[in-house]
Amino acid sequence: MRSVPMATACVLYHRFFQSASLLVYEPYLVAMSAIYLAGKVEEQHLRTRDIINVCHRYFHPESEPMELDGKFWELRDSIVQCELLILRQLNFQVSFEHPHKYVLHYLLSVRSLLNRHAWSRTPIAETALAVLKDSYHGSVCVRHKPQHLALTSLYLALQTYGVQLPRGELEWWQVVCADITKAQIETIMSELLQLYDMEAKCT
Amino acid sequence: MERDLLRQSVSYHGENLLLLLKCEQSENPDFKCVAADLSKTLSQRDVEEVSPVLEQFIARKADLLFAPSWKTSVPADEWQEETGEAYAIMPPLEQFMEVCFEERRELFYRDVERGDVVIGRINSVRDFGLFVTLLCTAGGLERDIEDLEIKALCPLRDVPSTGIHDDPLSYYQIGDLIQAGVKDIDRYHEKLTLSLFSSSLPPHLDKVKLGVISKEDLPLHYTRGEKVAADSSETYEKLLERSLGLSNPLNVDYLLGKLGISDTQTPSLMRGLQSKHFKEDDFATAIRKKQSVSWALKCVKVGVERFKSGRHVEAMNEYNKALEIDTNNVEALVARGALYATKGSLMKAIEDFELALENCPTHRNAKKYLCQTLVERGGQLEEEEKLVTAEGLYKRAIVLDNTFQEAAEALEKLQIHIQKSLKLKEQEAAKEQENTKTVETSAEKLRKILKEEKRMKKKRKRSTSSSTSSDTSSTSSDDSSSTSRKKSKKRKRKRRRSSHGSKKHKRRVSSCSDKTAEDDKEWFPAPANTFASYIDQKQSISKLISEGEQSWEKSRCEDGRGRLDDAIERSLENLKHGAQSEASRLGRPDVNGEVRDRHRTQSTSECARNRRDSSSSTQSEYSQKSDRYSKEFSAQGRKHSESERGGNEKMDRGERSSRDQNDGRKSGGSQKKEIPSNLLDIFSRIAEFEKEKKLKK
Repeated sequence: MRSVPMATACVLYHRFFQSASLLVYEPYLVAMSAIYLAGKVEEQHLRTRDIINVCHRYFHPESEPMELDGKFWELRDSIVQCELLILRQLNFQVSFEHPHKYVLHYLLSVRSLLNRHAWSRTPIAETALAVLKDSYHGSVCVRHKPQHLALTSLYLALQTYGVQLPRGELEWWQVVCADITKAQIETIMSELLQLYDMEAKCT
Repeated sequence: MERDLLRQSVSYHGENLLLLLKCEQSENPDFKCVAADLSKTLSQRDVEEVSPVLEQFIARKADLLFAPSWKTSVPADEWQEETGEAYAIMPPLEQFMEVCFEERRELFYRDVERGDVVIGRINSVRDFGLFVTLLCTAGGLERDIEDLEIKALCPLRDVPSTGIHDDPLSYYQIGDLIQAGVKDIDRYHEKLTLSLFSSSLPPHLDKVKLGVISKEDLPLHYTRGEKVAADSSETYEKLLERSLGLSNPLNVDYLLGKLGISDTQTPSLMRGLQSKHFKEDDFATAIRKKQSVSWALKCVKVGVERFKSGRHVEAMNEYNKALEIDTNNVEALVARGALYATKGSLMKAIEDFELALENCPTHRNAKKYLCQTLVERGGQLEEEEKLVTAEGLYKRAIVLDNTFQEAAEALEKLQIHIQKSLKLKEQEAAKEQENTKTVETSAEKLRKILKEEKRMKKKRKRSTSSSTSSDTSSTSSDDSSSTSRKKSKKRKRKRRRSSHGSKKHKRRVSSCSDKTAEDDKEWFPAPANTFASYIDQKQSISKLISEGEQSWEKSRCEDGRGRLDDAIERSLENLKHGAQSEASRLGRPDVNGEVRDRHRTQSTSECARNRRDSSSSTQSEYSQKSDRYSKEFSAQGRKHSESERGGNEKMDRGERSSRDQNDGRKSGGSQKKEIPSNLLDIFSRIAEFEKEKKLKK
């Protein structure tokens, strides 16, 4: 599944649970439906059979795939119904602006500022995209503007490697996104990093 | 871990980072080697804020971040002309940032390399070259250099001659915009040398056009930059939002491609999501396949049950369903093949078994069934006299399964049969050769006709195969197969010819009226019922015709034009012989007229069965009258009639398959059509000659 549909799925999921209660609705079912719906929205259609197979495999590792019998069809029906539920919950607003394109454009602009050798040495792009992708684990994605998110992930990547960009009247991030402040960047960054803490606790 | 990266990072963040790194990464063996170096590179941090969280993050993820394999991107090799805006092309950031003059200059000289493309304006033309003031960069590097007033020299030797002018420099004028490649840089003196030869560019920039360009060719980022400079309220953001490329839904994919990062294997810093932890087995496609296989097997089981209880149609449905789910399911294919075999469509069964064996060469049942089916099919073909094909099938069956008794037995029988028929053929051929006589007037005329036909043939330049080898003696193993094939072909032709209704009339008339002119023009397909008419009436002639036919068919079988003459000659000789022998001749002079009448009446009736029935009745007639003839003829005739009869009966069964075979021989098809008409002409002429003879006598 490509990055953008996946991002859509995550946003759908987070938004849904912003307004609905986690206890009432089975989260895994909602997740499956979110994936299915996102595939439709972003034109990367996935078959329900595949989704069910993978989820089943996830819960029962190394088991045989599900038999195509009554239980399977029931599960499939419930996914479809849940999809409708999500749509209603979100008032049918299912297309979102994602930070991906912003981050990519920013990357290109920043690349031109750097020496090409430095660029090829430092995996800035990968890190930025990785951070962005991981941000979808939490609800950061719904609480901030996509441009800000993009900017922050790029900022984080540059900071990790200690890359220094030329300075002019304005900092590069001020240019790119006029209304952001350093403080904001900091907050978002801390949120992102908290996610990694969470991950550390889980494993 | 990348040492340089680590060093850079540590020097940026300072000592804290180093400490933390040591803490977190103490187990990591790679780190230990690098740690020693790192402690030496600490320097004063110039960044104000302290970000412990960030440092913690870096420390924790250092093994991922600094791993050499983390850098997955492969920079795009080719610089493509950015036609259409796949993404938003922005002017250089420097411009927005308003980086100061010196810094920009410094940066430019730091980063420009040999092989970059720059665009500049000519500001003076001297004897030794052109002086260019650079406007902007192109081809990947994007900098704001317009106001830097960087001057570059393009020496004379790097200006290609345009050919028209003696002096290449006269082509250029002050104020022209030219695009050139950087040939040499003197960073210390801040001097640039340019070249207008494309050899100065690296291979991936080969397509860039060097030389004079127009304003339209200026790169987009420059033109946009100009607009921004003019209008100070333009911000990066606004420009980005407005540009069309931003709303391109595929821009993400495009840019990811440009940066060289794959979208399906995107990196992640979460440990659980590291790609190497995901096994192939867990992927959706793999699971789906397994599921399909088991589902298909279930269907097959149901189908087999249905089959056993006799409900063939339903069984077929189940098998087809199974094959839809899983196209190469071996079990389903084998089961379906068995079903086909029991129903009798053996060819389809063979196909299915072969497919199954392709997928799973060791499937016992498939092999067994395939052998059985092959043997059965061989039996069918044998009865149809397609001996060679049958032989081939038996051999294959034996190859597949060495212990298969029936196949071996059948093969032996077949081989004996073949040998017998071969012998008979040889006898016939020998007899035919005996019958060649000296030239007679009629023969001469006939030969003339033949030659004309030959010429006609050559005119049309049909494909002559190499089988213009000579004659009857060479028809060895081909004969046996060809005899059976010929019979079926004859029947085929008869049926086919029935469709040329109206044409025949014309041909008839023209053939009867104008005999000489015909050779030149008309090579129509003769009506099939010619043969029927002959067979009905004139046994000897029909026999001769059939013999001639056979020889023609032989020639056709061998796909050789050259044989036609031989065949015709042979048939003529036969006919002559027949004319000379005192066997019962029943009103041969009338042949011509009767043929005509018969032909006309029969041309309307298109039913193949009628013809067949008539032919079968004539064959019975045939067999009755066969006793009257001389031994040679009778021997031949009987054989032919038997084989014809047999062939006729088997025709139903082998119809389809032999038709397929015949269809494949279309190269001779047109030839087929031509022969009978020639035959017809010849016969009519023969009839005339014989009339003459009789009259003479």
